[in-house]
Amino acid sequence: MRTLHKYWKTAMMAAASYIGDSPLFLVDYLFRFLRVAVLLALWRVILAGKGSVSGMTLEAVLTYTLIAEVFGGQLAPRTSLDWTFWSGAIVGRMLQPLGIFGQFAAEMCGRWLFELSIFSLPLLLVAPLLGVSPLPAGPAAAVLFPISLLLGISVGLALEFIFGALLVLLALPLWAVNQVRAAVTTLLSGALLPLALLPAGAGAALAWLPFASMASAPLQIYVGTGDPLRLMAVQAGWSLVLWPLARWLWSASRERMVSYGG
Amino acid sequence: MEDRRSRIEERDPPSSILYPLSSIRRLLRLWKLYALMDFMLIAADLKLGLTYYLSDAILNIAAVTGMLLLAERFAGIGAWTHDQIIFMLGYATVANGIVNLLGGYNVMMISRRVGRGQLDHTLAQPQPIWMALLTEGFMPFSSSAVLIPGIGLLAWALGRLGLAIAPGWLALLALNLLASAAIVLAFSFIWGSLAFWAPRAAEEISSSTVNMLSQLKVFPLDGLGPLLLGGLLTFLPVGFIAWYPSRALLGIDPSPWGGWLTPLMALLLALLAAGVFHKGMLHYARTGSQHYSGFGHRS
Repeated sequence: MRTLHKYWKTAMMAAASYIGDSPLFLVDYLFRFLRVAVLLALWRVILAGKGSVSGMTLEAVLTYTLIAEVFGGQLAPRTSLDWTFWSGAIVGRMLQPLGIFGQFAAEMCGRWLFELSIFSLPLLLVAPLLGVSPLPAGPAAAVLFPISLLLGISVGLALEFIFGALLVLLALPLWAVNQVRAAVTTLLSGALLPLALLPAGAGAALAWLPFASMASAPLQIYVGTGDPLRLMAVQAGWSLVLWPLARWLWSASRERMVSYGG
Repeated sequence: MEDRRSRIEERDPPSSILYPLSSIRRLLRLWKLYALMDFMLIAADLKLGLTYYLSDAILNIAAVTGMLLLAERFAGIGAWTHDQIIFMLGYATVANGIVNLLGGYNVMMISRRVGRGQLDHTLAQPQPIWMALLTEGFMPFSSSAVLIPGIGLLAWALGRLGLAIAPGWLALLALNLLASAAIVLAFSFIWGSLAFWAPRAAEEISSSTVNMLSQLKVFPLDGLGPLLLGGLLTFLPVGFIAWYPSRALLGIDPSPWGGWLTPLMALLLALLAAGVFHKGMLHYARTGSQHYSGFGHRS
């Protein structure tokens, strides 16, 4: 319990940091809400009168889009790792009496707690007003979705530490890598557009990448358009491959970290 | 005579507005200077410069790829044909390229400069603030990573659409593109001016607004209800970044004045932005900077 307590405190500090300055942070959530509304309208235009497309009905796509935004933080997990490298604050982090992966993950979870209460929960509550059912496809989907989401977070966190270590090892510029990573991940993970609705072949190929394990897999399970066991097996496989790689890259780049940024 | 005017201008910057020819000459000199600096930034460290260049190109191509793939899969979106969607995406990318061309180095993200107290750097210079903001972010070489793919998409779409392109239509296209870019910058300045009053809390508000416009600009907004659509054409003018001007230019919108609506909106928003920014400056003159980050003169 004592070990967990320090991570809990870290998470709470990260959650409270949002409201430290002023209510202007709410603007970001307003913009995200607008994005959901526009995406929902777009799908209604595209799929109107088309019935089921690649196994997805309009209702399933609307629920997929809504849930992708509700769990936006968890489907694309990001820590403050790269900024800590950039500012040189990684030196101080290494002196803290917490595991390095654990402290960044705890901070990330703290921010999620805040975001879930200020944005995700209200969005779920107003879903019927947007004409979208926020419910999972069935009892099995409701049970398997959290497990798949956790596996997706595991894959996303492993990628986060791999990218962080690569930034240091290859001395890459933070801004450039961050921009490209965010843009490419959004597209390849299926968080913005369901992979099944991409042109034939493209979606099927992307489904095997680790990015798809972060978002597409749990979302497919939620709306009941994928085989849960196969999807979770791929997620677990990526998790098993990526975490040892992350640990190895982290060890290899450890000594260079203090000279990156600052 | 011109030399004397230049000297007067340097001693008394606001008087430069009385001498438009001298101001234009100076603007051109400054753009040349900043273009050279932009080139030197890329050339000084070629690996780093190319990394940034490629990342900008990838970022902007990725931003439109999703819609391209959807248009390909469904042979268009709603009332828009596949080629019309490509035109809209090309338009959006070129408009974004123009914003990058003029709004680099946190001119576009003005709340960062204001919130970090770095506006003092600009105020200390012997030139009017409007001239500094119009020139300091000029980066023709870096922004070509966005402009070139955008022009390519536009050209591709125009080739496939088979439009009868007259010089007047091309002039209207250019005017609309400039207007859409001006709307992005004006919107960023309107929100970014909040940083005069809340320097720390609003330091990143321009990036939030620009990101929002950037994410939503690629979507055709036809299916939105009147309330939301009205909002996206007034309070949050996303619709004028690509959707409405493309509708007007391609004749999807039957209104004969459609091609002039985006420039009119740009003018209104620019006036509003100038007014709000001026009000913020008046506040700044009383309070000064309360929060300083020394990230360098132009960042």
